[in-house]
Amino acid sequence: MTTSTNNNRTATLEPIFAAATHEASTAMCRWTNGEIYLTLDEVLEVPLDHVTQVLQLGDDLLTMVALDLLSDPGTVILLIFDEINGRQLASALLRQPSDPGTEWSELEKSALTETGNILGCAYMNALTKLVGRPLVPSPPYFIQDYGASVVQQALMAQALESDSVLVCRTGFHRKDEQLNWHVLLLPSVHLRQLLENVTAHASANNG
Amino acid sequence: MSNTATASTEEKLAKTLSVGMGQAMLGDRNTRLSAILGSCVAVVLWHPRLNLGAMAHVVLPDSHGKSEMPAKFADTAVPYLVRTLESKGCNRSGLMAKLAGGACMFKGGGPLQIGDDNIAACRTHLQRLGIPIAAEDLGGTGGRKVTMDFTNGSLTVEIAGRVSRVI
Repeated sequence: MTTSTNNNRTATLEPIFAAATHEASTAMCRWTNGEIYLTLDEVLEVPLDHVTQVLQLGDDLLTMVALDLLSDPGTVILLIFDEINGRQLASALLRQPSDPGTEWSELEKSALTETGNILGCAYMNALTKLVGRPLVPSPPYFIQDYGASVVQQALMAQALESDSVLVCRTGFHRKDEQLNWHVLLLPSVHLRQLLENVTAHASANNG
Repeated sequence: MSNTATASTEEKLAKTLSVGMGQAMLGDRNTRLSAILGSCVAVVLWHPRLNLGAMAHVVLPDSHGKSEMPAKFADTAVPYLVRTLESKGCNRSGLMAKLAGGACMFKGGGPLQIGDDNIAACRTHLQRLGIPIAAEDLGGTGGRKVTMDFTNGSLTVEIAGRVSRVI
């Protein structure tokens, strides 16, 4: 059974999300002294009832940083780590050893939250330039919970409008190593429409 | 609705199926049903004498007349579960309900908060159809993993960082 599609509509949005990912990657490189960069993995339209399977969100507990848009709370950016990778990033940023098995300290949470803030702002700055109107992210929220539970809540605005949802998934790399971290950008129907208008306008100008 | 009630010899050992957002499934002695919930609500109907039941993973309170995915909305999911179980031989008067979910995952705001509306809508539509709520675990700020065992009607609720409970 096909559970996701890379259709024409998602294909036309890829250059926009690639541009935003490039900007976020530049910010991430700066934040991690050149160690870590991002690549756009895929832009998908997924049936609502299969979204957690397609995104491989089982019943694992994950560490996440979430931001929405102040002017459009239906759009959500989620930075997602498993426990080990989240700890490793916090440890690298704080230059102190991680202590797995203990509760996250406020300092560790702050390091990850700031990472989410930097990435979210970079994404939204890039999209602001493209759509020509300000897209201002909210303060970041630090969450440790089932990934599927958080993604559900983040998809509510899209679910109100449609039985399928648009997901832009970004991966992280350290040199040639793919890291088990992701950014999910879950745009509201309103933002999606704005982005599609940008691509339609660009096509008309080129054609 | 996915029909899981037929059991071949190999399926005699109980299996657990995952009910995705907006889906509904049937469960029986051989088939437990599980869902991971945030602001969504799992509506479980169970017939204790027949050990047969169903779960809907309700995403939103009101369909506004849309019916492509009946289990997605509280107002269509509850009648849909009742109709399906009646067609399997369950008397409505013998059904009981269990509810879980409806959390607010983003403390202090964030994306659309719909958990409380989902809870209210599920309760309203169960009451309208005269289905008693035997147990519930609702609200709060944490996600839940729920698993329904139709052999005894127990709904196990796991919340991150807490001891699981059976309702």
